[in-house]
Amino acid sequence: MNLSLSPLVELLFFPGGLVLLASGLVYEFVDRKLVARFQNRIGPRWFQPLADVIKLLAKEEVIPAGVVKGLFIFLPIVALTSILTAALYVPMFGLKPAFSFPGDLVVTVYLLSLMTLCIGLAGANTEDRFSLVGATRALTQMFSYEAPFLLALLGPAIALGTWNIGQINSAAGNNLWFIIAQPFGFIAAVIGLMGKLELPPFDAPEAETEIVAGALTEYSGRGLALFRIGRDVELVIGLTLIASFYLGGLANPLDFLWKTLILLLVTAALQSLFARLRIDQTVGLWWRIGSIMVLLQLLAVVVGRLIAPLIPFLSSGG
Amino acid sequence: MTIGSMLGDIVNSFFKRPATGRYPFVRTEAPEDLRGKVVWNPETCTGCGLCVKDCPSQALELFTLDKAAKRYVMLYHMDCCTYCAQCEVSCRSKSIYLTNDEWELASTSRTPFEVYYGREEDVQKVLEPEPQGEPDLSPESKTE
Amino acid sequence: MGAEKKPEKFVVSIGPQHPALKEPGHFEFAVEGEIVTSATARLGFVHRGMEKGTESRTWVQNLYLMERVCGICSAVHAMAYAQGVEKLAKVEVPPRARAIRQLIAELERIHSHLLWLGVAAHEGGFDTLFMLSWRDRETVMDLLEAITGNRVNYSANVLGGVKIDIDEVKSAAILKGMDFLEERTRHYMKVVTEDETFLGRTRKIGTMTLEQALRLGSVGPTGRASGVPYDVRVDAPYAAYQDFPVNIVTDTAGDLEARFVVRIKELYESYRVIRELVDHMPAGELTTRIPRRIQEGEVVSRVEAPRGELFYFLKSNGTDMPERIKVRTPSLCNWGSILATAVGHRLADMPMILAGIDPCFSCNDRMILVKRGNDQTVWTWEDLRRYGIEYYK
Ligand code: SF4
Ligand code: SF4
Repeated sequence: MNLSLSPLVELLFFPGGLVLLASGLVYEFVDRKLVARFQNRIGPRWFQPLADVIKLLAKEEVIPAGVVKGLFIFLPIVALTSILTAALYVPMFGLKPAFSFPGDLVVTVYLLSLMTLCIGLAGANTEDRFSLVGATRALTQMFSYEAPFLLALLGPAIALGTWNIGQINSAAGNNLWFIIAQPFGFIAAVIGLMGKLELPPFDAPEAETEIVAGALTEYSGRGLALFRIGRDVELVIGLTLIASFYLGGLANPLDFLWKTLILLLVTAALQSLFARLRIDQTVGLWWRIGSIMVLLQLLAVVVGRLIAPLIPFLSSGG
Repeated sequence: MTIGSMLGDIVNSFFKRPATGRYPFVRTEAPEDLRGKVVWNPETCTGCGLCVKDCPSQALELFTLDKAAKRYVMLYHMDCCTYCAQCEVSCRSKSIYLTNDEWELASTSRTPFEVYYGREEDVQKVLEPEPQGEPDLSPESKTE
Repeated sequence: MGAEKKPEKFVVSIGPQHPALKEPGHFEFAVEGEIVTSATARLGFVHRGMEKGTESRTWVQNLYLMERVCGICSAVHAMAYAQGVEKLAKVEVPPRARAIRQLIAELERIHSHLLWLGVAAHEGGFDTLFMLSWRDRETVMDLLEAITGNRVNYSANVLGGVKIDIDEVKSAAILKGMDFLEERTRHYMKVVTEDETFLGRTRKIGTMTLEQALRLGSVGPTGRASGVPYDVRVDAPYAAYQDFPVNIVTDTAGDLEARFVVRIKELYESYRVIRELVDHMPAGELTTRIPRRIQEGEVVSRVEAPRGELFYFLKSNGTDMPERIKVRTPSLCNWGSILATAVGHRLADMPMILAGIDPCFSCNDRMILVKRGNDQTVWTWEDLRRYGIEYYK
């Protein structure tokens, strides 16, 4: 845990930068493989995500007519950067977060949302019909899942009385796992993550049979590659967050591995289990069921905290 | 009214062997009656030309070298063939038929798609026409 | 949600190249937000000049050309054509050949309906159902391959009969395959009628009333899902349907779910009739002789393709080539139903509604020349070619 790496190495290679990107690709592979196996297919070989990215990077990036050129090039970079920044506050690979300050949870969640925002902007930037529809859907979806996802992550935070991810992580390990204490929050968090990543069945913003690739229809080459890597890394970060909050924290890399992989197994199963929801169904589901579920959960947590300091909290760090 | 009614399926699938295969590396058995490459037997062919006439995709060409001696050469355009087996049905002497063992016929060039059948010296003759033994393409003159 | 610039109509055009469409077609949906306010279709991107092509091929060769009108329901095309030619030539096909024709046609229906089930599920974003139904569809594909030797264009028919025979081994394989498929199909029936997420995409979507269906002339499962009690197999039996009848399957709801239900119930019917066919296959010859020159005359031949009524008109002038062949495929009759039901639905429902009629683009793309007055125009290949180039410019 207390390896002392120089900050630069930490940023560029481990646990930031390259290793993070690589882990994104690995998790994408595992995800695709799992979904394939759930559908009784062989699925891709291990290097497929990498091959995809290399192929995209090697391709010409076509900048379509009618876009704001700077924005078109800039948005994928912003998206990826924000995701990589978010990784710094999260106990990636079970290590201590590279940086932390009180309240970094909120910052992290918003950095993660920046990705969707960039995708939405990228879609709105073009004149393509599919992109525009995709962008509206992406933003609509963002507004619906963002609140429940944040609330779901706040559950443990409030229960532990700290908004610092690192502290929540270590405290969660010493408590009853929050998946048992706050099951609704866990469900909301997993589904919220899937909504964030636009995984099926919440893939209305990029429903290929309707609007081709949604907001990213006009992207090719480098821009698309960056968005894809960004989304892969977001997947890893999201899984890490949920695992550290709800699955008893991540104390070491081994912990990280098995907990996130189990989570991935669950999300892959959910991906293969349902038909795509229409955007109105997604929104309806979130606001009618998701938010209320999480709000009730939160209420319970707050009430529990008020009336019962009997529960042996070991909020060691805070 | 259920949610996730395919849960059983996906759990099953997860533990089952995948239904898809790594084709070029792992091959599957072809059924016995598969329609593969067409072959032609110069020994029994009567040169009636029905197969050529009935082939819907003009995949067959019959060269008549010597009608009396029944010396014919069949040029089979494998890339045109649709494996419909009409030639096999049309032939009354059972001289042309589809095989079931040769079916991975893809190729990156056109040359392997031109298959000449016949006695070796006859094929030679068709390929390098000498002035006197000029092969004539004669499906029309031969029918009925 | 919705388009920001309101004044002009926000038109989402789908196709001719689009992931939802496996074949080229062009649709324009004007949307307001997500709601579709008008729909138009433009077809004709895969016009192949086949009807004209038949005029320069012999009756025998045309059998294989007509088989390629559609890649999914190839056998019924060949069957409709062969039956028409046999009627023209006044030859009687032996009963065993007729039974085998029906067997192939029903196997093909199974493969087609399962294919559709997968495609429709995919359009609704239910890829697991898509993958698994196609996995099971392999069973019937393998059966067809084992029986005929080909996986897609089976070429089981010849003029005057069939090429292939069913022996003990194949019968056993067919029966086994039917048992497996029946079990799986019952499961899929459960999935499409009970799964909450999927029902959200199909129930009360694209509803077409009986009256609409009759007015638009819908055929096949699309019409039957709205209660049109019409099935050529029942109303004008051909092949061996007289001896091995099928029951007509209809529904009254008319929505997408009903179309799923009708098609799946038709699968049950197919399994049943195939078992009967295999168990009571009449003995006898496989072919009769048929002349190469077909005597002069005109004939209409109809069969029930998986998508609905398939219509052939054949005209012979006494030579070994037809004078005119006219094909009307079922998809052509069903386009109207899409345009009629699309308005008022969400954009997200469009792929499902499109897939709901099980459209086959290439088989219905043909040219119609409306003759005014009595100009006796005969178009040559060259004319057609030039017209085509002009049309697509
Ligand atoms: S199988 Fe059909 S296409 Fe091939 S050579 Fe014979 S008749 Fe021609
Ligand atoms: S139909 Fe038979 S006999 Fe006649 S030319 Fe062809 S192969 Fe020879």
